[in-house]
Amino acid sequence: MYDFSYHKPASLDEAASLISGRDDVKLLAGGMSLIPALKLRLATYSDLVDLGAIDALKGIRREGNTLVIGAMTPHAEVVASAEVERAIPALAELAGGIGDPLVRNRGTMGGSIANADPAADYPASVLGLAATVVTNRREIAADQFFLGLFETALKPGEIITAVRFPIPEAAAYCKFPQPASRFALAGVFVAKTAGGVRVAVTGAGPSVFRFKEAEAALAKKFDPAALDGIEVRPDGLNSDIHASAEYRASCVVVLARRAVMKAREAGAR
Amino acid sequence: MAQPARSSRIGEPVRRKEDLRLITGAGCFSDDVSLPGQAYAVMVRSPHAHARLRSIDAGKALTVPGVIAVLTGHDLLADGLKPIPHRPFSPHPADIPLANTDGTPMFTAPHHALVIDKVRHVGEALAMVIAETIAAAKDGAEAVEVDYELLPAVANTAAAARPDAPRLFENARSNVCLDAEAGDGKATAAAFACAAHVVRFETWIPRVTGVPMEPRAAVGAYDASIGHYTLHAGTSGAWRTKMDLAIMLGVAEDAVRVVTRDVGGHFGTRGMLYAEFALVVWAARRAGRPVKWTCERHEAFATDYQGRDLVVEAELALDKDGRFLAMRGSNISNAGGHTTNFSPLRKGVEIMSTIYRVPAAHFRARGIVSNTAPTRPYRSSGRPEVIYVMERLIDLAARQCGFDRVELRRRNLVTAAEMPYTNPFGMIYDSGDYPGVMEKALTLGDWAGFPARRAEARARGKCRGIGVANYVDTASGVPRERAEMTVHPDGTVDVIIGTVSTGQGHETSFAQLVTEWLGVPFDKVRILTGDTEFVRFGGGTHSGRGMRLASIVIWGASRKIIEKGKRIAALLLECEPGTVEFRDGLFARPGAGRTVSLFDVARGARDLLDLSQDLRGPLAAIADETVSVAQFPYGCQVAEVEIDPELGTLEIVRYTAVDDVGRAVNPAIIHGQVHGGIAQGVGQALLEQCYYDPDTGQLLSGSFMDYAMPRADNFPFFNTEYVEIPSPTHPLGMRPAGEGGTAPALGVMINAIADALSEFGVRHVEMPATPERIWRAIREARGSAGERRR
Repeated sequence: MYDFSYHKPASLDEAASLISGRDDVKLLAGGMSLIPALKLRLATYSDLVDLGAIDALKGIRREGNTLVIGAMTPHAEVVASAEVERAIPALAELAGGIGDPLVRNRGTMGGSIANADPAADYPASVLGLAATVVTNRREIAADQFFLGLFETALKPGEIITAVRFPIPEAAAYCKFPQPASRFALAGVFVAKTAGGVRVAVTGAGPSVFRFKEAEAALAKKFDPAALDGIEVRPDGLNSDIHASAEYRASCVVVLARRAVMKAREAGAR
Repeated sequence: MAQPARSSRIGEPVRRKEDLRLITGAGCFSDDVSLPGQAYAVMVRSPHAHARLRSIDAGKALTVPGVIAVLTGHDLLADGLKPIPHRPFSPHPADIPLANTDGTPMFTAPHHALVIDKVRHVGEALAMVIAETIAAAKDGAEAVEVDYELLPAVANTAAAARPDAPRLFENARSNVCLDAEAGDGKATAAAFACAAHVVRFETWIPRVTGVPMEPRAAVGAYDASIGHYTLHAGTSGAWRTKMDLAIMLGVAEDAVRVVTRDVGGHFGTRGMLYAEFALVVWAARRAGRPVKWTCERHEAFATDYQGRDLVVEAELALDKDGRFLAMRGSNISNAGGHTTNFSPLRKGVEIMSTIYRVPAAHFRARGIVSNTAPTRPYRSSGRPEVIYVMERLIDLAARQCGFDRVELRRRNLVTAAEMPYTNPFGMIYDSGDYPGVMEKALTLGDWAGFPARRAEARARGKCRGIGVANYVDTASGVPRERAEMTVHPDGTVDVIIGTVSTGQGHETSFAQLVTEWLGVPFDKVRILTGDTEFVRFGGGTHSGRGMRLASIVIWGASRKIIEKGKRIAALLLECEPGTVEFRDGLFARPGAGRTVSLFDVARGARDLLDLSQDLRGPLAAIADETVSVAQFPYGCQVAEVEIDPELGTLEIVRYTAVDDVGRAVNPAIIHGQVHGGIAQGVGQALLEQCYYDPDTGQLLSGSFMDYAMPRADNFPFFNTEYVEIPSPTHPLGMRPAGEGGTAPALGVMINAIADALSEFGVRHVEMPATPERIWRAIREARGSAGERRR
């Protein structure tokens, strides 16, 4: 780890002013990806701005038909939240499958989606539920938020404050953990909403993406059988020592089918 | 343990006395040692797998604040440091010799602690930066400028063995350092000529690494006033490390002390001196202050001694009734970037026929080098590889020729009546009830009830398979061990022994021996080890020799103490020494009802003024024994898996192991050893691999993000039992229990997977049997079945 200056502002405005106009300053949320990168000297910043003392970024609340989760809410709180369990149990289950207890108590939703790791779980729920990413400057629709490998629509100086999840009729997440890291080798989030069916895929490509053929088929009938004959093309999918693109493509379809089944079962309860 | 142990003698599952210390963070591992005034070392490591080292420029590094020195291979040569004294084969008379068929000597080359002229694997250390802090040393290491001339690399074992492969050593004819034969070629060819069936199997047992929970660390110190070096580091036995260090430093044995306290895992990984251990003591002398180095996990993945990596082509010949007639083939073992160790090649090829009656066999055995980290024996060195090959051959033979897999094993297992049995390579198996142990495992694993479980699984859409594998292990290693035992008048007993516990619980199990034989309280026995200041000899922990040899020397020392004690007790009890009886810690004069305790006798030895010269002084004894015979633990495992055919994922649903341990000292520790051994074997079968890019030699599995360790949730609860058939080649009947968990685990897993996939016509899945490999096997088998239908 190289030396850096550490700041822990108590307000969002203070945090914003600390990073304003500087590209060698990094926001620190839970630090579950950033700190290891710093320790391995894979990243270096002159300053870190720790968002941990800003109370306005924490907490879970329901606003009508929307679940609002503060950017600095750790995964463990999402897992344990009765509000989340009532509104979107699939989200609580997804959060419970991230990392291990240590990661879940440090890692945050805002940190995860800002990092946009291609194998992270939260991006699948944000995109699958058509959530809105709220920043200190604006609101960004999930479809416009994730741009590519570790790349988001966030502008310099912009800080995620919360994520607004519309509450679906039914939803489920099926994850195939990579055997070593237990990140998603492939993960599929399926949501049935008033506006239609959305299927978001993480782990399989350079960034989370929507599986639109599946969405169209499921819109006609929200049933696993609706996915029969539908395939994912392996072109452009990830290929590494754990899984080829071809295998990931096959897994995505299987996981999508299972997620639909799970969502239906959850809906029937 | 739900129940407390009834006593603390041999055979009781005594709770480990070291555990409270270790699980409450009170252990003292290598990195817990710090010395006043210490500086820190960081290695400059090669990012290339194969390159000529043109130059190293430390100029900028030396200007980095806090940097004290930058040492290179040339400094090392200038100071006369010798290469690491690798011994390609461990010396044990029970193992067969391997030598080049053409009569030339085996090729070996010096392995210097820092690269002199050529890098041979990624991560090899080129220079060492010494600084005031770790951070400054890292800054310094980044500032060292290295000029490389890149060379083509070869990492894959089969590719490296080819004559046209990039050559690691210019003075060698090829990367093949050893090309030997084992067995009888003529008899084998004759047997194959009249075989009714021949089954062929080609496979690669990939490279894995030990991944001890505690990474390596070392602190070196040098006392200039007396020219004395001290190394604090985790080793498997401090004494051998001391001797090797003295060789490297070119100093007398008494100029070196090695101290090992707690050790967090070994598995063979810590079995040999590491370059960094020599470097820190040398640097301490150069810097005039202690020097500490702590390995980071990514360095461990790249530079720990790794294991396995064997390419095998094998054929088994059977008669029409399924009796094994002969086997033949070729083994190629990959030593990595240096000629460190070819022991696994030998330990494997000498028991290719494993536990079965195979009248004739012949194998070619090659040891090669490649642009990968050096390898050395890894838990059950060489045996899990060949046991896997044999157990696969049997299942393949059953499938190919229409035999029942279990029946085929029954027909060919060596029986108790044939013992001692000489296998076709000349290894003599001492004893055992191989068929009986297999039957016990089949019963415990409910082999007979499997069809019903398979049918039930099928209803859930799962493919369920069952496998069985038998193993025999040849426990040899360093044949000599020494114990020094002292009974103190204060009521304690000290045992000094040269075998360090690297997780096996010696403080407990060795104390149980003393409690049994001297009748002293378990809590009052101290096992002292790991410091060459008082350990005068020790072979270290490997090859199932911890308890196997400790029991012999502790037994020997105990008997000497009792004999000496009887003579002193006779004076105290006023009787003839020959009439004194010793039992439960008390010396008794028969009939008189008078007794004195062992500790009374120890006090007498110290205080009595009228003792003869040979009885005076501490009540102590030394036993120093050389055991030239090997022991042969054996056993059987039965495993069941369920496969999700859509994803290729797998769950282990049942796992049974039965081991013959000869005589169990601590059943809880034995079961723990078997559980850990299973996890290590299954890890290789399903998950683990040191994945080197075949073209560049880059390590692609250099962290826990990519090297898949087995975890608790990969396993069901294990069903492990043992039998106790005394070994006639061990004076107390013991057989080692540390490696039996691993030895058959590779074979039993792949056998179970192949069985689960048999309905698709899948013949085999290579290791690690990842979900993608299983998915592909199903898909390809379905594809070819489709082809056949057309």
